[in-house]
Amino acid sequence: MNSVMVKSKDVTLLEILDRVLDKGVVISGDLVISVADVDLIYLGLKVLLSSVETMEKLRGAPFAGPMQEAN
Amino acid sequence: MTLYLYGIIDSSDPIKESLYGLEGAGVYNVSFCDIGAVVSEISQPIQNVTEVAILEHETVIEKLMANFVVLPARFQTIIDGRDNLRSIMQSCYKDFKENLARVRNRLEFGIKVIWPADKVKENIIQTLKEGRPWPAEPDCSANKRFIRGKLETYQINEKFKKKANKFIDAMDIFFSKFAAEKKLKRLKTENLLLDAVYLVEKNKESDFRDAFEHIKSAHEGFKFLFSGPWPPYNFVILPKKNDLLKESEKKDLFDKVIQHREPVGAREIWQ
Amino acid sequence: MAINSVVETDFPEEFVEEIEKSQDILPRKIDANPKNVEKGLAKLVLTLIELIRKLLEKQAMRRVEAGSLSDEQIENVGETLMKLENKMEELKEIFGLKDEELNLNLGPLGNLM
Repeated sequence: MNSVMVKSKDVTLLEILDRVLDKGVVISGDLVISVADVDLIYLGLKVLLSSVETMEKLRGAPFAGPMQEAN
Repeated sequence: MTLYLYGIIDSSDPIKESLYGLEGAGVYNVSFCDIGAVVSEISQPIQNVTEVAILEHETVIEKLMANFVVLPARFQTIIDGRDNLRSIMQSCYKDFKENLARVRNRLEFGIKVIWPADKVKENIIQTLKEGRPWPAEPDCSANKRFIRGKLETYQINEKFKKKANKFIDAMDIFFSKFAAEKKLKRLKTENLLLDAVYLVEKNKESDFRDAFEHIKSAHEGFKFLFSGPWPPYNFVILPKKNDLLKESEKKDLFDKVIQHREPVGAREIWQ
Repeated sequence: MAINSVVETDFPEEFVEEIEKSQDILPRKIDANPKNVEKGLAKLVLTLIELIRKLLEKQAMRRVEAGSLSDEQIENVGETLMKLENKMEELKEIFGLKDEELNLNLGPLGNLM
Protein backbone atom coordinates (compact mmCIF):
# COMPACT_ATOMS: atom_id res chain seq x y z
CA MET A 1 0.00 0.00 0.00
CA ASN A 2 2.79 2.42 0.82
CA SER A 3 4.84 3.68 -2.06
CA VAL A 4 8.58 3.46 -1.97
CA MET A 5 9.92 6.70 -0.59
CA VAL A 6 12.77 7.86 -2.71
CA LYS A 7 14.15 11.06 -1.35
CA SER A 8 15.91 12.24 -4.41
CA LYS A 9 17.79 15.38 -3.66
CA ASP A 10 17.20 17.04 -6.98
CA VAL A 11 13.48 16.60 -7.23
CA THR A 12 12.96 17.67 -3.62
CA LEU A 13 15.03 20.76 -4.17
CA LEU A 14 13.04 21.59 -7.29
CA GLU A 15 9.78 21.23 -5.41
CA ILE A 16 11.00 23.56 -2.67
CA LEU A 17 12.43 26.08 -5.10
CA ASP A 18 9.23 26.20 -7.10
CA ARG A 19 7.37 27.25 -3.99
CA VAL A 20 9.87 29.37 -2.17
CA LEU A 21 11.19 31.51 -5.00
CA ASP A 22 7.96 32.75 -6.38
CA LYS A 23 4.99 32.03 -4.18
CA GLY A 24 3.60 32.65 -0.74
CA VAL A 25 3.43 36.14 0.61
CA VAL A 26 5.03 38.22 -2.11
CA ILE A 27 5.55 41.75 -0.98
CA SER A 28 6.98 44.21 -3.38
CA GLY A 29 7.40 47.92 -3.48
CA ASP A 30 9.59 50.51 -1.91
CA LEU A 31 9.42 49.02 1.54
CA VAL A 32 11.23 45.90 0.47
CA ILE A 33 14.95 46.33 0.11
CA SER A 34 15.68 43.35 -2.00
CA VAL A 35 13.86 40.52 -3.58
CA ALA A 36 15.45 37.35 -4.78
CA ASP A 37 16.02 37.75 -8.48
CA VAL A 38 17.30 34.37 -9.34
CA ASP A 39 18.25 32.85 -12.61
CA LEU A 40 18.04 29.13 -12.48
CA ILE A 41 20.22 27.48 -15.00
CA TYR A 42 19.42 23.89 -15.67
CA LEU A 43 22.42 21.79 -16.50
CA GLY A 44 21.22 18.33 -17.27
CA LEU A 45 19.81 16.94 -14.07
CA LYS A 46 21.58 19.43 -11.91
CA VAL A 47 20.12 22.71 -10.86
CA LEU A 48 22.75 25.34 -10.74
CA LEU A 49 21.84 28.38 -8.77
CA SER A 50 23.44 31.55 -9.96
CA SER A 51 24.23 34.31 -7.60
CA VAL A 52 21.43 36.56 -6.60
CA GLU A 53 21.24 39.94 -8.12
CA THR A 54 19.59 42.13 -5.63
CA MET A 55 17.12 44.38 -7.28
CA GLU A 56 17.83 47.97 -6.49
CA LYS A 57 14.90 49.89 -5.19
CA LEU A 58 12.92 51.67 -7.81
CA ARG A 59 14.17 54.98 -6.67
CA GLY A 60 16.84 56.30 -4.44
CA ALA A 61 20.05 54.75 -3.35
CA PRO A 62 20.79 51.07 -3.44
CA PHE A 63 20.86 49.23 -0.16
CA ALA A 64 22.21 51.83 2.19
CA GLY A 65 22.60 51.75 5.89
CA PRO A 66 25.09 51.61 8.69
CA MET A 67 26.54 48.43 7.26
CA GLN A 68 27.53 50.06 4.05
CA GLU A 69 29.09 53.03 5.71
CA ALA A 70 31.20 50.72 7.77
CA ASN A 71 32.57 49.29 4.53
CA MET B 1 17.53 47.30 11.25
CA THR B 2 16.93 45.09 8.29
CA LEU B 3 14.52 42.27 8.81
CA TYR B 4 14.24 38.99 6.97
CA LEU B 5 10.61 37.90 6.75
CA TYR B 6 9.67 34.23 7.07
CA GLY B 7 5.93 34.55 7.17
CA ILE B 8 2.78 35.89 8.77
CA ILE B 9 1.21 34.02 11.68
CA ASP B 10 -2.15 34.17 13.34
CA SER B 11 -0.79 35.18 16.73
CA SER B 12 0.64 38.17 18.54
CA ASP B 13 2.36 35.95 21.10
CA PRO B 14 6.13 35.65 21.27
CA ILE B 15 7.62 32.47 19.89
CA LYS B 16 8.28 30.14 22.79
CA GLU B 17 10.92 27.82 21.38
CA SER B 18 14.35 29.05 20.34
CA LEU B 19 14.28 29.29 16.59
CA TYR B 20 17.21 30.22 14.42
CA GLY B 21 17.10 31.23 10.79
CA LEU B 22 19.44 32.73 8.23
CA GLU B 23 22.86 33.83 9.43
CA GLY B 24 22.03 31.87 12.58
CA ALA B 25 19.99 34.80 13.82
CA GLY B 26 17.21 34.39 16.33
CA VAL B 27 13.71 34.30 14.91
CA TYR B 28 11.02 36.29 16.66
CA ASN B 29 7.48 37.51 16.22
CA VAL B 30 6.67 41.16 15.63
CA SER B 31 3.06 41.48 16.61
CA PHE B 32 0.46 43.66 14.98
CA CYS B 33 -3.00 43.49 16.50
CA ASP B 34 -3.86 39.81 16.65
CA ILE B 35 -1.38 38.65 14.03
CA GLY B 36 2.38 38.80 13.67
CA ALA B 37 5.27 38.93 11.25
CA VAL B 38 7.97 36.39 11.98
CA VAL B 39 11.39 37.82 11.25
CA SER B 40 15.06 37.66 12.05
CA GLU B 41 17.66 40.36 11.69
CA ILE B 42 19.91 40.12 8.69
CA SER B 43 23.07 42.02 7.98
CA GLN B 44 22.90 42.11 4.22
CA PRO B 45 20.85 40.76 1.35
CA ILE B 46 21.78 37.23 0.50
CA GLN B 47 24.44 37.16 -2.16
CA ASN B 48 24.17 33.55 -3.15
CA VAL B 49 21.04 31.52 -3.19
CA THR B 50 22.32 28.29 -1.78
CA GLU B 51 20.57 25.12 -0.90
CA VAL B 52 21.43 25.82 2.73
CA ALA B 53 19.73 29.22 2.75
CA ILE B 54 16.64 27.81 1.09
CA LEU B 55 16.42 25.01 3.62
CA GLU B 56 16.96 27.39 6.53
CA HIS B 57 14.07 29.47 5.27
CA GLU B 58 11.82 26.47 4.78
CA THR B 59 12.75 24.91 8.12
CA VAL B 60 11.73 27.97 10.10
CA ILE B 61 8.37 28.08 8.37
CA GLU B 62 7.69 24.41 8.93
CA LYS B 63 8.62 24.69 12.60
CA LEU B 64 6.19 27.59 12.95
CA MET B 65 3.47 25.47 11.42
CA ALA B 66 3.61 23.15 14.39
CA ASN B 67 2.10 25.86 16.57
CA PHE B 68 0.60 28.49 14.33
CA VAL B 69 -1.26 29.07 11.11
CA VAL B 70 1.40 30.41 8.73
CA LEU B 71 1.36 32.36 5.49
CA PRO B 72 4.85 31.59 4.17
CA ALA B 73 6.78 34.49 2.70
CA ARG B 74 8.70 34.34 -0.52
CA PHE B 75 12.37 33.66 -0.15
CA GLN B 76 14.46 36.69 0.60
CA THR B 77 11.82 39.23 1.49
CA ILE B 78 13.86 41.78 3.36
CA ILE B 79 12.26 44.78 4.96
CA ASP B 80 13.95 48.04 5.80
CA GLY B 81 13.16 48.62 9.43
CA ARG B 82 10.36 48.18 11.92
CA ASP B 83 8.42 51.22 10.77
CA ASN B 84 8.15 49.90 7.27
CA LEU B 85 7.22 46.49 8.58
CA ARG B 86 4.39 48.10 10.51
CA SER B 87 3.31 49.93 7.35
CA ILE B 88 3.11 46.66 5.50
CA MET B 89 1.16 44.99 8.28
CA GLN B 90 -1.24 47.90 8.41
CA SER B 91 -1.73 47.91 4.69
CA CYS B 92 -2.17 44.17 4.35
CA TYR B 93 -3.89 43.38 7.64
CA LYS B 94 -7.24 42.53 6.12
CA ASP B 95 -5.71 40.42 3.37
CA PHE B 96 -3.52 38.57 5.84
CA LYS B 97 -6.48 37.87 8.11
CA GLU B 98 -8.53 36.53 5.21
CA ASN B 99 -5.73 34.28 4.05
CA LEU B 100 -5.01 33.00 7.55
CA ALA B 101 -8.66 32.06 7.94
CA ARG B 102 -8.66 30.31 4.59
CA VAL B 103 -5.63 28.15 5.20
CA ARG B 104 -6.30 27.37 8.85
CA ASN B 105 -6.06 23.62 9.52
CA ARG B 106 -5.17 22.94 5.93
CA LEU B 107 -2.07 21.58 4.26
CA GLU B 108 -0.77 21.86 0.72
CA PHE B 109 0.05 18.72 -1.25
CA GLY B 110 1.50 18.43 -4.72
CA ILE B 111 0.72 15.71 -7.23
CA LYS B 112 2.48 15.32 -10.54
CA VAL B 113 1.66 12.71 -13.15
CA ILE B 114 3.67 11.57 -16.16
CA TRP B 115 1.69 9.61 -18.71
CA PRO B 116 2.87 7.46 -21.65
CA ALA B 117 2.38 10.22 -24.22
CA ASP B 118 4.04 8.26 -27.02
CA LYS B 119 1.75 5.28 -26.57
CA VAL B 120 -1.29 7.51 -26.44
CA LYS B 121 -0.26 9.17 -29.68
CA GLU B 122 0.39 5.82 -31.33
CA ASN B 123 -3.10 4.67 -30.41
CA ILE B 124 -4.62 7.83 -31.76
CA ILE B 125 -2.73 7.56 -35.05
CA GLN B 126 -3.86 3.96 -35.34
CA THR B 127 -7.51 4.89 -34.78
CA LEU B 128 -7.32 7.73 -37.26
CA LYS B 129 -5.78 5.49 -39.89
CA GLU B 130 -8.64 3.07 -39.55
CA GLY B 131 -11.33 5.69 -39.94
CA ARG B 132 -9.86 7.72 -42.74
CA PRO B 133 -12.03 10.81 -43.35
CA TRP B 134 -9.73 12.19 -46.00
CA PRO B 135 -10.11 10.38 -49.31
CA ALA B 136 -6.72 9.59 -50.77
CA GLU B 137 -6.54 11.12 -54.21
CA PRO B 138 -4.17 9.58 -56.70
CA ASP B 139 -2.72 12.82 -58.04
CA CYS B 140 -2.76 15.20 -55.10
CA SER B 141 -1.22 18.61 -55.55
CA ALA B 142 1.61 19.70 -53.32
CA ASN B 143 -0.70 22.19 -51.65
CA LYS B 144 -3.28 19.55 -50.89
CA ARG B 145 -0.65 17.21 -49.54
CA PHE B 146 0.57 19.99 -47.29
CA ILE B 147 -2.94 20.55 -46.00
CA ARG B 148 -3.48 16.87 -45.45
CA GLY B 149 -0.30 16.65 -43.40
CA LYS B 150 -1.31 19.63 -41.31
CA LEU B 151 -4.79 18.25 -40.83
CA GLU B 152 -3.48 14.95 -39.55
CA THR B 153 -1.24 16.70 -37.06
CA TYR B 154 -4.10 18.91 -35.98
CA GLN B 155 -6.46 15.99 -35.47
CA ILE B 156 -3.89 14.00 -33.56
CA ASN B 157 -3.23 16.95 -31.25
CA GLU B 158 -6.91 17.59 -30.63
CA LYS B 159 -7.54 14.00 -29.71
CA PHE B 160 -4.41 13.98 -27.59
CA LYS B 161 -5.63 16.94 -25.58
CA LYS B 162 -9.08 15.45 -25.22
CA LYS B 163 -7.63 12.21 -23.91
CA ALA B 164 -5.44 14.11 -21.47
CA ASN B 165 -8.38 16.06 -20.08
CA LYS B 166 -10.37 12.87 -19.68
CA PHE B 167 -7.66 11.34 -17.51
CA ILE B 168 -7.05 14.54 -15.57
CA ASP B 169 -10.71 15.10 -14.78
CA ALA B 170 -11.12 11.50 -13.63
CA MET B 171 -8.18 11.84 -11.25
CA ASP B 172 -9.18 15.26 -10.07
CA ILE B 173 -12.63 14.09 -9.04
CA PHE B 174 -11.00 11.70 -6.59
CA PHE B 175 -8.54 14.18 -5.13
CA SER B 176 -10.97 17.07 -4.95
CA LYS B 177 -13.20 15.19 -2.55
CA PHE B 178 -10.81 15.96 0.27
CA ALA B 179 -9.51 19.32 -0.86
CA ALA B 180 -10.82 22.77 -0.08
CA GLU B 181 -8.97 24.34 -2.99
CA LYS B 182 -6.86 23.24 -5.92
CA LYS B 183 -4.73 24.49 -8.78
CA LEU B 184 -4.20 22.34 -11.86
CA LYS B 185 -1.72 22.71 -14.68
CA ARG B 186 -2.68 20.45 -17.57
CA LEU B 187 -0.14 19.05 -20.06
CA LYS B 188 2.69 21.29 -18.98
CA THR B 189 4.78 19.21 -21.35
CA GLU B 190 3.58 16.37 -23.55
CA ASN B 191 4.63 13.87 -20.92
CA LEU B 192 3.72 15.84 -17.81
CA LEU B 193 0.01 15.20 -17.84
CA LEU B 194 -0.74 16.94 -14.59
CA ASP B 195 0.97 19.29 -12.18
CA ALA B 196 -1.48 19.94 -9.38
CA VAL B 197 -1.55 21.36 -5.88
CA TYR B 198 -4.35 20.69 -3.43
CA LEU B 199 -5.22 22.42 -0.17
CA VAL B 200 -6.34 19.56 2.04
CA GLU B 201 -8.03 19.63 5.44
CA LYS B 202 -5.64 18.33 8.09
CA ASN B 203 -8.11 15.72 9.29
CA LYS B 204 -8.58 14.47 5.74
CA GLU B 205 -4.89 13.91 5.05
CA SER B 206 -5.01 10.14 5.24
CA ASP B 207 -8.12 9.99 3.07
CA PHE B 208 -6.32 12.13 0.53
CA ARG B 209 -3.27 9.86 0.60
CA ASP B 210 -5.51 6.84 0.18
CA ALA B 211 -7.15 8.46 -2.82
CA PHE B 212 -3.71 9.01 -4.30
CA GLU B 213 -2.69 5.39 -3.77
CA HIS B 214 -5.93 4.27 -5.34
CA ILE B 215 -5.42 6.37 -8.45
CA LYS B 216 -1.81 5.27 -8.65
CA SER B 217 -2.69 1.60 -8.64
CA ALA B 218 -5.45 2.17 -11.18
CA HIS B 219 -3.09 3.68 -13.75
CA GLU B 220 -0.47 1.24 -14.90
CA GLY B 221 2.16 2.78 -17.10
CA PHE B 222 1.70 6.17 -15.49
CA LYS B 223 4.31 7.70 -13.20
CA PHE B 224 3.33 9.55 -10.05
CA LEU B 225 4.91 12.03 -7.71
CA PHE B 226 3.45 13.01 -4.34
CA SER B 227 4.88 15.83 -2.28
CA GLY B 228 4.00 17.48 0.97
CA PRO B 229 2.75 18.46 3.35
CA TRP B 230 3.83 21.97 2.46
CA PRO B 231 3.11 25.37 3.92
CA PRO B 232 0.35 26.87 1.76
CA TYR B 233 2.64 28.66 -0.72
CA ASN B 234 0.30 28.20 -3.64
CA PHE B 235 -2.80 29.29 -1.82
CA VAL B 236 -1.86 32.71 -0.57
CA ILE B 237 -3.90 35.25 -2.49
CA LEU B 238 -2.80 38.82 -2.19
CA PRO B 239 -4.11 41.56 -4.43
CA LYS B 240 -1.45 43.52 -6.27
CA LYS B 241 -0.87 46.37 -3.88
CA ASN B 242 1.24 49.18 -5.12
CA ASP B 243 0.58 51.65 -2.42
CA LEU B 244 3.09 50.53 0.16
CA LEU B 245 4.81 53.83 0.70
CA LYS B 246 7.45 54.58 3.25
CA GLU B 247 6.31 56.52 6.30
CA SER B 248 8.59 59.42 5.36
CA GLU B 249 7.28 59.43 1.82
CA LYS B 250 3.72 59.45 3.05
CA LYS B 251 4.49 62.56 5.04
CA ASP B 252 6.09 64.29 2.05
CA LEU B 253 3.14 63.44 -0.12
CA PHE B 254 0.74 64.70 2.50
CA ASP B 255 2.63 67.96 2.75
CA LYS B 256 2.60 68.34 -1.01
CA VAL B 257 -1.14 67.89 -1.15
CA ILE B 258 -1.71 70.40 1.62
CA GLN B 259 0.58 72.91 -0.04
CA HIS B 260 -0.87 72.75 -3.51
CA ARG B 261 -4.37 71.83 -2.50
CA GLU B 262 -4.71 69.66 -5.54
CA PRO B 263 -4.75 65.91 -5.88
CA VAL B 264 -1.44 64.29 -6.53
CA GLY B 265 -1.61 62.24 -9.69
CA ALA B 266 -0.89 58.55 -9.61
CA ARG B 267 2.18 59.13 -11.73
CA GLU B 268 3.67 61.48 -9.22
CA ILE B 269 3.29 58.99 -6.44
CA TRP B 270 5.44 56.63 -8.37
CA GLN B 271 8.23 59.01 -9.31
CA MET C 1 18.05 21.10 10.06
CA ALA C 2 15.38 18.99 8.55
CA ILE C 3 12.17 19.71 6.81
CA ASN C 4 9.02 17.67 7.18
CA SER C 5 7.90 17.89 3.62
CA VAL C 6 8.73 14.81 1.68
CA VAL C 7 8.72 14.14 -2.01
CA GLU C 8 7.69 10.59 -2.83
CA THR C 9 8.17 9.12 -6.26
CA ASP C 10 9.58 6.02 -7.89
CA PHE C 11 10.79 8.07 -10.84
CA PRO C 12 12.74 11.11 -9.63
CA GLU C 13 14.85 11.55 -12.76
CA GLU C 14 11.89 11.47 -15.09
CA PHE C 15 10.13 14.17 -13.11
CA VAL C 16 13.23 16.34 -12.93
CA GLU C 17 13.50 16.05 -16.70
CA GLU C 18 9.90 17.11 -17.27
CA ILE C 19 10.13 19.95 -14.76
CA GLU C 20 13.25 21.20 -16.53
CA LYS C 21 11.52 21.02 -19.88
CA SER C 22 8.55 22.98 -18.68
CA GLN C 23 10.93 25.73 -17.61
CA ASP C 24 8.54 27.21 -15.14
CA ILE C 25 11.06 29.66 -13.86
CA LEU C 26 11.07 32.81 -15.92
CA PRO C 27 14.45 34.25 -16.70
CA ARG C 28 14.21 37.64 -15.10
CA LYS C 29 17.36 39.30 -16.21
CA ILE C 30 16.94 41.78 -18.98
CA ASP C 31 19.89 41.55 -21.27
CA ALA C 32 20.87 45.05 -22.36
CA ASN C 33 23.99 43.93 -24.19
CA PRO C 34 23.69 45.63 -27.61
CA LYS C 35 24.90 42.53 -29.40
CA ASN C 36 22.02 40.55 -27.96
CA VAL C 37 19.35 43.22 -28.09
CA GLU C 38 18.78 42.62 -31.80
CA LYS C 39 18.43 38.93 -31.30
CA GLY C 40 16.13 39.54 -28.34
CA LEU C 41 13.89 41.75 -30.41
CA ALA C 42 13.89 39.31 -33.30
CA LYS C 43 12.90 36.57 -30.88
CA LEU C 44 9.98 38.60 -29.59
CA VAL C 45 8.72 39.60 -33.01
CA LEU C 46 9.09 36.13 -34.48
CA THR C 47 7.37 34.60 -31.46
CA LEU C 48 4.35 36.78 -32.06
CA ILE C 49 4.36 36.03 -35.78
CA GLU C 50 4.60 32.33 -35.02
CA LEU C 51 1.63 32.63 -32.71
CA ILE C 52 -0.47 34.25 -35.37
CA ARG C 53 0.67 31.78 -37.99
CA LYS C 54 -0.21 28.83 -35.78
CA LEU C 55 -3.59 30.30 -35.00
CA LEU C 56 -4.26 30.76 -38.71
CA GLU C 57 -3.24 27.18 -39.36
CA LYS C 58 -5.52 25.94 -36.61
CA GLN C 59 -8.45 27.96 -37.94
CA ALA C 60 -7.83 26.60 -41.41
CA MET C 61 -7.72 23.03 -40.14
CA ARG C 62 -11.02 23.48 -38.36
CA ARG C 63 -12.63 24.61 -41.57
CA VAL C 64 -11.06 21.86 -43.65
CA GLU C 65 -12.26 19.30 -41.14
CA ALA C 66 -15.74 20.79 -41.15
CA GLY C 67 -15.74 20.51 -44.93
CA SER C 68 -16.64 24.17 -45.39
CA LEU C 69 -13.95 24.91 -47.94
CA SER C 70 -14.18 24.34 -51.66
CA ASP C 71 -11.52 22.46 -53.54
CA GLU C 72 -10.06 25.67 -54.88
CA GLN C 73 -10.04 27.26 -51.46
CA ILE C 74 -8.19 24.28 -50.03
CA GLU C 75 -5.58 24.65 -52.74
CA ASN C 76 -5.14 28.35 -51.98
CA VAL C 77 -5.01 27.89 -48.24
CA GLY C 78 -2.47 25.10 -48.70
CA GLU C 79 -0.28 27.30 -50.84
CA THR C 80 -0.48 30.24 -48.44
CA LEU C 81 0.25 28.19 -45.34
CA MET C 82 3.16 26.51 -47.05
CA LYS C 83 4.65 29.84 -48.06
CA LEU C 84 4.21 31.21 -44.53
CA GLU C 85 5.87 28.19 -43.04
CA ASN C 86 8.82 28.38 -45.42
CA LYS C 87 9.22 32.08 -44.74
CA MET C 88 9.30 31.47 -41.01
CA GLU C 89 11.94 28.79 -41.45
CA GLU C 90 14.02 31.29 -43.40
CA LEU C 91 13.70 33.96 -40.73
CA LYS C 92 14.47 31.51 -37.96
CA GLU C 93 17.64 30.52 -39.79
CA ILE C 94 18.70 34.11 -40.39
CA PHE C 95 18.43 34.95 -36.70
CA GLY C 96 19.71 31.61 -35.53
CA LEU C 97 16.59 30.82 -33.55
CA LYS C 98 15.18 27.42 -32.77
CA ASP C 99 11.53 26.46 -32.37
CA GLU C 100 11.83 26.05 -28.61
CA GLU C 101 13.13 29.58 -28.28
CA LEU C 102 10.05 31.06 -29.87
CA ASN C 103 7.78 30.69 -26.92
CA LEU C 104 6.79 32.91 -24.08
CA ASN C 105 6.33 31.72 -20.53
CA LEU C 106 3.38 33.58 -19.12
CA GLY C 107 3.89 32.37 -15.56
CA PRO C 108 0.62 31.09 -14.14
CA LEU C 109 -0.94 31.08 -17.59
CA GLY C 110 1.57 28.58 -18.83
CA ASN C 111 3.32 28.88 -22.14
CA LEU C 112 1.99 30.98 -24.98
CA MET C 113 2.06 28.06 -27.38
